[in-house]
Amino acid sequence: MSHDHLRDPMERRTFVERCARYAFGLTVLPAFAPGLSAAEKPREASVPRRAGFGKAKRVIFIELEGGLSHIDSFDPKTGDVKGPSNPIATTADFQVTDYLTATAKIADKIAVIRSMTAKIGLHQSAQYLMRTGYEKRGTIVHPMLGAWAQHHLGKSHATLPSTVCVNRPADSGNGYFPAAFSPLPILDPDQGLPNTTSGLAEDVERKRIGLLEKLDRTFSNGDANVKAYADFYDSTMTLMKSRDLKAFDLSAEPAELRDRYGRSKLGQGCLLARRLVENGVRFVEIRHGSWDMHKDIADGMETRGGDFDRAFAALIGDLDARGLLDSTLVAVTTEFGRTPTFESSGRGHHPPVFSTVLAGGGVKRGYVHGKSDAKGHEPDDKPMTVGAFHATIAWAAGLPTEQEIRTPSGRPMSIGNKGKPALEMFA
Amino acid sequence: MHRFIPVVSIAAFAFLLGTASGAKPNKKAQPPAATPTPRAVVGKKTATRESPPLNAELPSPWRTWSDPAGHKVEAEFCSLHETIVTVRTRQGQTLQMLLPRLVPADSAFALDYAQRLRARSFADEYVKTAAYQIDFLIGSTLVAKGEKFNAPVNEEQFLRRIYLDAVGRIPTAEEAGAYLADRAPNKRAKLIDRLLYSPGYTMRMYNWLGDMLRVKDLFGKGVPTFTFQDWLKDQLQADRTWDALVRAMLTAEGKVCDNGATGFLLYDAQMPLDGVSNLLTTFLGANLACAQCHNHPLAPWTQRDFYQVAAFFGASNGIDETTLRGGKQLLQGKGLNKLQLVRIANANGYRMADTDVQSLTFPKDYKYSDVKASSPVTPTLIAWSKADSTNPAYRVNTSKPAELRDEFAKWMTHPDNPRFAANIANRVWKKVFGLAVQEPVSDLDDPAKASNPALLAHLATVIKAGRFDLREFQRVLFNSQTYQRAAGLSPDLEKGPYLFPGPLVRRMTAEQVWDSLMVLSVGPEVDHMVLRRGDDEKLMSLGTDGMTAENMKAVIDRMSGGKQSVAGARKGGVKDSVLLGEYQGGTPPQRFGMILARASELPQPAPETHFLRLFGQSDRLISDTSTTDGSVPQLLMRMYGGAGKLISDGTCAAVTVAGQANSAGAKVDSLYLSLLARKPLAEERAESTKALSGGLTLSDVAWALANTREFLFIQ
Repeated sequence: MSHDHLRDPMERRTFVERCARYAFGLTVLPAFAPGLSAAEKPREASVPRRAGFGKAKRVIFIELEGGLSHIDSFDPKTGDVKGPSNPIATTADFQVTDYLTATAKIADKIAVIRSMTAKIGLHQSAQYLMRTGYEKRGTIVHPMLGAWAQHHLGKSHATLPSTVCVNRPADSGNGYFPAAFSPLPILDPDQGLPNTTSGLAEDVERKRIGLLEKLDRTFSNGDANVKAYADFYDSTMTLMKSRDLKAFDLSAEPAELRDRYGRSKLGQGCLLARRLVENGVRFVEIRHGSWDMHKDIADGMETRGGDFDRAFAALIGDLDARGLLDSTLVAVTTEFGRTPTFESSGRGHHPPVFSTVLAGGGVKRGYVHGKSDAKGHEPDDKPMTVGAFHATIAWAAGLPTEQEIRTPSGRPMSIGNKGKPALEMFA
Repeated sequence: MHRFIPVVSIAAFAFLLGTASGAKPNKKAQPPAATPTPRAVVGKKTATRESPPLNAELPSPWRTWSDPAGHKVEAEFCSLHETIVTVRTRQGQTLQMLLPRLVPADSAFALDYAQRLRARSFADEYVKTAAYQIDFLIGSTLVAKGEKFNAPVNEEQFLRRIYLDAVGRIPTAEEAGAYLADRAPNKRAKLIDRLLYSPGYTMRMYNWLGDMLRVKDLFGKGVPTFTFQDWLKDQLQADRTWDALVRAMLTAEGKVCDNGATGFLLYDAQMPLDGVSNLLTTFLGANLACAQCHNHPLAPWTQRDFYQVAAFFGASNGIDETTLRGGKQLLQGKGLNKLQLVRIANANGYRMADTDVQSLTFPKDYKYSDVKASSPVTPTLIAWSKADSTNPAYRVNTSKPAELRDEFAKWMTHPDNPRFAANIANRVWKKVFGLAVQEPVSDLDDPAKASNPALLAHLATVIKAGRFDLREFQRVLFNSQTYQRAAGLSPDLEKGPYLFPGPLVRRMTAEQVWDSLMVLSVGPEVDHMVLRRGDDEKLMSLGTDGMTAENMKAVIDRMSGGKQSVAGARKGGVKDSVLLGEYQGGTPPQRFGMILARASELPQPAPETHFLRLFGQSDRLISDTSTTDGSVPQLLMRMYGGAGKLISDGTCAAVTVAGQANSAGAKVDSLYLSLLARKPLAEERAESTKALSGGLTLSDVAWALANTREFLFIQ
């Protein structure tokens, strides 16, 4: 199946034509305006709508890079595997560790999955699996969920990108979908989207762009990557002229609120994510590094854990206060868990069981899904694969998880690699 | 030793090449009676050709060098690239000196020795034959599939491509003009030789290795490893061969602040098993990563295989806990800068050392029945086939734990190791052609899966024949007609392998884009701006002294007495006060908050919001993760960020050069040569001159050209 028909036919026009429109000062193109073109209209989902289906209009996907220790966070244990922290009561009827005091106060709004299970204990591969729902292969790159959503639902906004990734590069997040489905990366939330003005007089700028369009015309050799770059020019020009750019500007947020999220890159990234989804971005991915706590886990959980606790609790509270939580799904993900046994002052990689969180977007509040065994070694109830986790998010977002699509070369693929959504997680 | 290559049927080959232009393999070439099948070709190893004179006797490279001011240093000659002489002292220190600044007898020695070394490289005739064989093996598979080679690449595209591939940047207008005007029939071969033996090569290779070896300013939570970077550059500059370089990294001992070569293993000091998994992948394409935790689901490797090979590193460790603890205790005291203290403790506490005990045991939760959980592991090499174990590479001595690493390194870098040569050949091929013969490069376990197994085998043979000299190996690749063909479009690998009718169209790497902007902005002397950042780190060494507050203060004093620096780096230039006018290149300018030096001289990796990172430079956390994707912020940076201003702010060297031309048309021609290495088409010249008379400046035209897609792509 060709993906071309999903794209705005305008996008196939030449760079010259596209640039010319901006040069003449048209800011919003008819085809991008409120009524989407036929090709971009969300497709009728073929799956019957049941509990929770499609309630999440937006998704915020937090990636804790390096491996969150389940035992030291959302799945506290006692006995010899217990870490340096103590379990504390929360506003729901489950416990977390005392590294998560702020999260404990919003626990009644979230669902913890304690039975995540995987087989890969290598960072790069595990990261890839968690981001795409597929194991890493040499011959194909799989898309992340934001790109799947754009494939099934079309663009989420006329000018803003449908998918943004914060504190991380795009890393081919579009997979085998067109490059235009690639997330827009924001490497520093404080800076937002940098370099959006030329500082030149308007007529000079118009002439310069005009010359660029003419000189670019001769270069066209049919290569897919070269074509993809034409798409990026297009998106760039559109965005530059749009008032929606303010969605990227954190300075518009009150200082008190910025403090509440924490001035860490995760904190500010979460606040930016809220701004973006509020303004029409569908999928925001946020990375937070340094969770690979082989040593000094007490230290790590206090610093990185502290950043996370503050940011996550603030995000959930803020979304709920704005009435957005029921239509926004927040996922907390990681590469794998950490070993119940200690290696020096930290813990090793432990894919057999770990914890993730889903909150909002129709997911039950104050709920625990599945459990791990007494020592946190293996799942003990309702094991959930990464594919099933993806399918669950996709279900909430109203994506047809059962529908197979064909990659441009004809390989059948589906969201979450045939994982089944955990429907009992929905209210 | 496989120092021969199968002889090509030149006649058959010329037939395959069809209307190829460029140097003809043989004037007497006749079309063959019948097209040979690939099988017939592969099996044809009957005749052999004399290998290049690799073992020619050389005089001693040692010499006491002196300059007219009377300074002296004893050192061995390593290389001469343009006018830069590289020598190495008995202490292993590498020095760069300028040829014209040496006394005549020394410069004559350097010139003579360099010539002798070049004579030991591949003979031109060998390069031709080895390159023909590449073309032949590719031609055969193309014919078998009913496909054809691409048309020969034109001079302009070849020129831009070879500059980017060999020295990592586009040519200047002057360089481009000189090449295009050259009428010599062998001008391509001449240019290839010149570029491979110029300073830009070191920078290009360093960037390429940076992604593969995860070159990073700080490991983990702040272990400074600038010494590793300087060491790596020194090895490239001194023409260290690949096997020697890898062996040095795997057997390095001592503190990272004293011995930069330890940097490679110390990256994984906290996770030595990951380290083994990484080095097997990087140097052998052995895909044991999964077997680290469980038997590999798809490949034959078992967890036992992994542990047995990992045991070669079981007597080594990278962390000196006593020193690190000492550093932590000092933190409680007062008067010492915390950041400095941690850096110094780390620079001394991270070191490679070996013990007399191999201490690796199978994991506690080992779940297979072939060995007992927690039992000691016997070091055993991995083998890909039963025949491997009779191979001379496998003669290792595992009786002395302290020497296990050395034995492993000998095996890994041995010419007869079943994968070492093929692995680096495959990786360099990917660098040059845009795609490996076997993808992914991280998995060579089954070479039959290569897109062209005979080609992969041939490349391994060539690399061994050249004793792992990557310059010479690339000389063969660049001289092949396959390389000198029009670039192919990005293939869909799921529809079948790419058979290399030519190299691929590629977006430049982040470093190539940046370095091209640097040469436009600064000029070609940017290749000579070298920022050695490891010298300050060497001052951190406590030697054999302990971690006391006093010793620490002494180190800090020593460091603050050090030289002024540009972003933590020593200033470049020729130092008159020091021996022989030791050469350190020029000093890079700074503009718009950016240091205008080549990517290899900047922080590794560049900061997250730097141009290089937006364009896909790897974060150096995982090997081989740089990307060439586009993005909106990337284009914004190019158009309106500092990178765009560099071209349009009126100080750009290429614009200055163009401005000296005497007509608007000639100015435009000069800009086209600078930016795209070609003359403008008539319509392009017309549009540009029209723009110049319509209110835009030459800087604006340069800006527009720098923002075209053509600028970003290697054709």
